[in-house]
Amino acid sequence: MEWISYIIAFVIALLITASAVVALRWAVKTGQFRDFEKGAETIFDEDEPMGRTADSFPGKAPPLAKPIIPNR
Amino acid sequence: MSNPLSNLAASLNPGTPVPVERAILREIDESTKAPALFFLVSGILWLLVGTVFALIASIKLHYPSFLGESEWLTFGNIRTAHLQSVIFGWSTNAAFAVALWLMARLSRMRLRHPGIVLAAACLWNLGVTIGVAGILRGDSTSIEWLEIPTYATPILFVAYALIGVWAIITFRFRQSQHIYVSQWYLIAALFWFPWLYSAAQIMLLFEPARGTVQSLVNWWFAHNVLGLWFTPIGVAAAYYFIPKVLGRPIHSYYLSVLGFWSLALFYNWAGVHHLIGGPVPAWVISAGIVASLMMVIPIVVTGINHHATMRGNWSALKYSPTLRFIVFGALNYSASSLIGSTMAVRSVNEVTHFTHFTVAHAHHGMYAFFTMVMFGSIYFMLPRILHREWPSASLISVHFWACAIGITIYVVGMSIGGVIQGLQMNDAENYPVFLDIVKSMNPWLHTRSVAGAIITVGHIAFAVNFGWMLFKRSPDAAGAPTLFHAPPAMDARSSAS
Repeated sequence: MEWISYIIAFVIALLITASAVVALRWAVKTGQFRDFEKGAETIFDEDEPMGRTADSFPGKAPPLAKPIIPNR
Repeated sequence: MSNPLSNLAASLNPGTPVPVERAILREIDESTKAPALFFLVSGILWLLVGTVFALIASIKLHYPSFLGESEWLTFGNIRTAHLQSVIFGWSTNAAFAVALWLMARLSRMRLRHPGIVLAAACLWNLGVTIGVAGILRGDSTSIEWLEIPTYATPILFVAYALIGVWAIITFRFRQSQHIYVSQWYLIAALFWFPWLYSAAQIMLLFEPARGTVQSLVNWWFAHNVLGLWFTPIGVAAAYYFIPKVLGRPIHSYYLSVLGFWSLALFYNWAGVHHLIGGPVPAWVISAGIVASLMMVIPIVVTGINHHATMRGNWSALKYSPTLRFIVFGALNYSASSLIGSTMAVRSVNEVTHFTHFTVAHAHHGMYAFFTMVMFGSIYFMLPRILHREWPSASLISVHFWACAIGITIYVVGMSIGGVIQGLQMNDAENYPVFLDIVKSMNPWLHTRSVAGAIITVGHIAFAVNFGWMLFKRSPDAAGAPTLFHAPPAMDARSSAS
């Protein structure tokens, strides 16, 4: 009887692993790994743009962000 | 079909087309208000409860008669109640709040089906409350990290499953072309945890596996709760907030993707290192040690990214509460994870296993990393959700310094104590009497209680600031510093509605 639960657990583990493989394949096919620089910038937009500090202690003016030095 | 946002059947139907309308950040933040606040308020209440339990447990270790007459508060009960209330009460509630806010923002859409999330939030907190009360009654299952009695766990599972369904719907209707690295981590965490939890529940509590398989399942689960649930949420938050606050993109996006996939590949294997020296097949343990050392790849990659993004911007730590907490957390992610990998090496493990060193390490990861990142995230989220500024800058400072200093004393003290304890336990010639070793731990246990008291001060400062902010009457002017600067047209619209 206990083997049945082990087999079920094993099959589910295989399915979870397979889902990771499918996700990776999907990501490659839909171009998620193309143009990394653009990907990194997707969290900024016109409301919270690059080059502006977005947080500071209450009651204090936020500092000016430093110019963006290219990392690469 | 009147309101597409509230039609669950349409959301679950794979044929429903994805609408093409990118929400603006202000609307997104607003849409998360009710569920995020529910999770945060209950999380902070659990944090306070868990802190009280922690202090009682810590004091009992060097002053055993403390509250000794109360059968509800024996060390076994109170320590377990502390663990479950901070893990499932505070940490998971905070993780849900941060995860759903980040998911909505990264998917660029208003929160769909807040009803599902609110129902999940109620069930989750009901489950944790019943569970912790059950533990105090003496119903603990005595399986580490799964102590909540079986009459409460199904509630937790249903709550989590609801969040999982919500996450899939959110992901499916996302308006963002690119999936930012944080979103990979969040989706993975929300997807993996129900699997971990249900598999461990069934194989340990409802249909218990026999023999060594039980301990293997136990540590597979216990370590993966950290590695595949809390770590991804914490890392996702750090990957979002560090570049966001600084206003500059992450150092190397390529590395961040590599970090995610190597975590996905290796972490699941690593938990067995808790059984080094135990009666499990040697190859299983060796595989666990190899995986633990392979974890150095995602740790180093993530560390490089977090810290290199900060390079040249360290002065921003003076100005931003969010960044202060999150960078403290990110530094401790690197440190505690590298220590964790080292602890999996057999010769190191011989000393540290079964000592306070493990306790120090657990708090290093869960508090100095995860909890601090959650604090930082909340400092960023809440003003945007409530359109209000934090009321007191000095309370934020008190919170940061008390928690940072307290946890540093805690981790350093218990690590030193743990190594001393381990070396003494391995040295039967000079320490033949076990009680001598127990007694030599006394100063370190006192240190922990002091550290815990300092941390408590920080938590009280945080809770006061949080409550003050919730009940503050007048909203701030639109120009308040941490607030989202709305264009004038937006303001007119929101005041009219």
